[in-house]
Amino acid sequence: MTLLTRLEHWKERGVISPEQHTLLAGLSRGEPFSVFLELNSLLYVGILAFVAGLGWTVSTWSQQLGDVLVLAVLSTMLAACFWYCFSRVPAWSPGETPSPSLVLDYVLYLGSLIWSVELAYIETRFHLLSGQWDFYLLGTAGLFFFLAYRFDNRFVLSFALSSLAGWFGLTISHWPSHQDETYRQYAILYSLIVGGAGALLQRRGLKPHFFGTYLNIAANVLFWALLSGVFNHEGYWVWFLALLTACGASLAWGLARRQFSFVAYAAVYGYVGVSAILLRNLNDGTAILSYFVVTGIAMLVFLVQIARRFGREA
Amino acid sequence: MRVYSASDEESVRARDLLKDWAGEGFLTAAQYQQMEPETVCDLRRTNIFLRIVLFLFTLLIVVAAVALFFVVVFSRPAEQTTGVFLLIFAPASYAAAELAVSQARLYRFGIEEALAACSVGLLCAGLQAVTRPDGTDFLIPSAGAILSLWVWHRFGLAYALPSAMIFAVWLTADWTSSQTAQHVIVAAFYAAGLITVAAIRPRHRFTYLNDHYSIAEALLWLGIYLAINLKLSSQHLLVEWWGGFRPADEFSRPFYWATWVLIWCLPPIVLVRGVRLKDRFVIAAGVVAAFLTLVTNKPYLGWPRHTWDPMLLGALLISVVLFIRRWLAAGPDEIRHGFTARRLSGKDKRWMSAGTAAFGLVSPNTITPSPQTGTPDVHFEGGHSGGGGASSDF
Repeated sequence: MTLLTRLEHWKERGVISPEQHTLLAGLSRGEPFSVFLELNSLLYVGILAFVAGLGWTVSTWSQQLGDVLVLAVLSTMLAACFWYCFSRVPAWSPGETPSPSLVLDYVLYLGSLIWSVELAYIETRFHLLSGQWDFYLLGTAGLFFFLAYRFDNRFVLSFALSSLAGWFGLTISHWPSHQDETYRQYAILYSLIVGGAGALLQRRGLKPHFFGTYLNIAANVLFWALLSGVFNHEGYWVWFLALLTACGASLAWGLARRQFSFVAYAAVYGYVGVSAILLRNLNDGTAILSYFVVTGIAMLVFLVQIARRFGREA
Repeated sequence: MRVYSASDEESVRARDLLKDWAGEGFLTAAQYQQMEPETVCDLRRTNIFLRIVLFLFTLLIVVAAVALFFVVVFSRPAEQTTGVFLLIFAPASYAAAELAVSQARLYRFGIEEALAACSVGLLCAGLQAVTRPDGTDFLIPSAGAILSLWVWHRFGLAYALPSAMIFAVWLTADWTSSQTAQHVIVAAFYAAGLITVAAIRPRHRFTYLNDHYSIAEALLWLGIYLAINLKLSSQHLLVEWWGGFRPADEFSRPFYWATWVLIWCLPPIVLVRGVRLKDRFVIAAGVVAAFLTLVTNKPYLGWPRHTWDPMLLGALLISVVLFIRRWLAAGPDEIRHGFTARRLSGKDKRWMSAGTAAFGLVSPNTITPSPQTGTPDVHFEGGHSGGGGASSDF
């Protein structure tokens, strides 16, 4: 029975009204046909191409154009973007606020990218902070967090989180020794701060729909950091235990909230970590392959049970 | 011929659409509760995350099991022996995929998909080992293409078709060493496929198969475009693009310029067809082809690239989108000729949310210049991170 036949049946039985039938039958035939996704994607690509060209042009021709002209153009564009956004944004609300127009989100996105280009230009040409690039990233992260919350924009929130990650990375890159260990600790600190901040903001009711973005980024950074510790030559047991704890928490969270990306993280990162420990001193090909067959089947059975019990629908 | 019955697939489609419509407020919760039980079928499905993980673990098990067999049974098997056993494992893997569907009723569950994919891989590996000394290499891509097509048709797995298309490229490389002939034969293969799909499609316009054939048509259009755009398949791609250098003529001048004309003709044809059919995937193929034509036009003509080219391209795209959006929004009820810029499906929102989070994390890194910490006379130069971007320290 095709969908159109089903809709006809539901209309005849009075489950749906004739108006609903007309609307739903039309939608299933693509009438009207929405090009929302296509326009958004093209706008995204267009802005990305525009700013990429802008950055490339500025970096290539800065000597010929002169600092004044470059900064004037970039500042004018930046001011125009932010003026446009602030002049059209609706009153702030802590809940999810739909954007007044498709264009506003992308102008904000354009402005944020131009800010990054201009900041990079200023520091590279004038060295105002004498190479203390991390302070720019921290300031940029702060600005992007403000913009993300003011305009309810996930794009800019992602920029903010990546700028903050860059600040953590660049800060410790100044430190000369024990890089791996230090990076790992800072990655864990970053994930805890991001996850904690996301949870706190959600509890306070400040854009609670952003929590998923915070949590996904925090979880992935945390898992990578812990996994890198498991591959250490010494002192890996602590990291292994921490990884198992994180996997357990991720699995429990994913099942409780029906967020199956966390179940997938627990399965994949956990399996890699456990395999790294169990196969560490194993050199026998038969044993290694047997391990993968047996544990692979065990994982498959476990995941099928989860899928049957919790994750039926897409 | 298809492993799932039409009524099951229609039920799956109806179920998905009902969920989407309820989410968008086109149906009340009470209506949804009443209609949903009538779309139940016995197929087992799962969400995308578990599907991917199940696919990966099944792949791991099959590869490890096959390797274990050779390690345990043979210490150093001859290539022919390996090939024969791989050719035995291929149908076994395929049979397991069929069983997973017929007995366990798996539908887009990852397991049956991985088993079907493994059957193609094992078949090709087996043929490779068995036929290598005989110079019958054409058997491998032929068998790979045929089995991929069969998996595409039988299981409805959209990604099996690109696999068959890649095998077709490999096949032509084996037939002739002439670059021109290879491009023409590949394009002819895809055109034959396109004609077949276009002939079959109208019968399934409003059924569950519409999306299946829509994706196939889009892939074939894109395949034809890629086959005729010599700048995308050039071995000196990067050198030509960035250096403005035209390598020694691999192609005759008439062929070269004929393909240049074609890369300008094809995108509008695809776009018009997509718009007329209101086909999302064909429209996307047309847009991608148009974008690639704009990007490859200068290398084609041998003109030098400028740093502001991406800016112009970006400005053009932004202008076109804004014009279309305004034009559609000005229509009655924001609809013109059956098209609207409004969001009508929750799927679009989910795609946008996932896309914004993912691309938001990477885009500042890729486009903003890198910080310079060197000497004061260092010039401002392009790079890969900085500004709002993250370093890759984690």
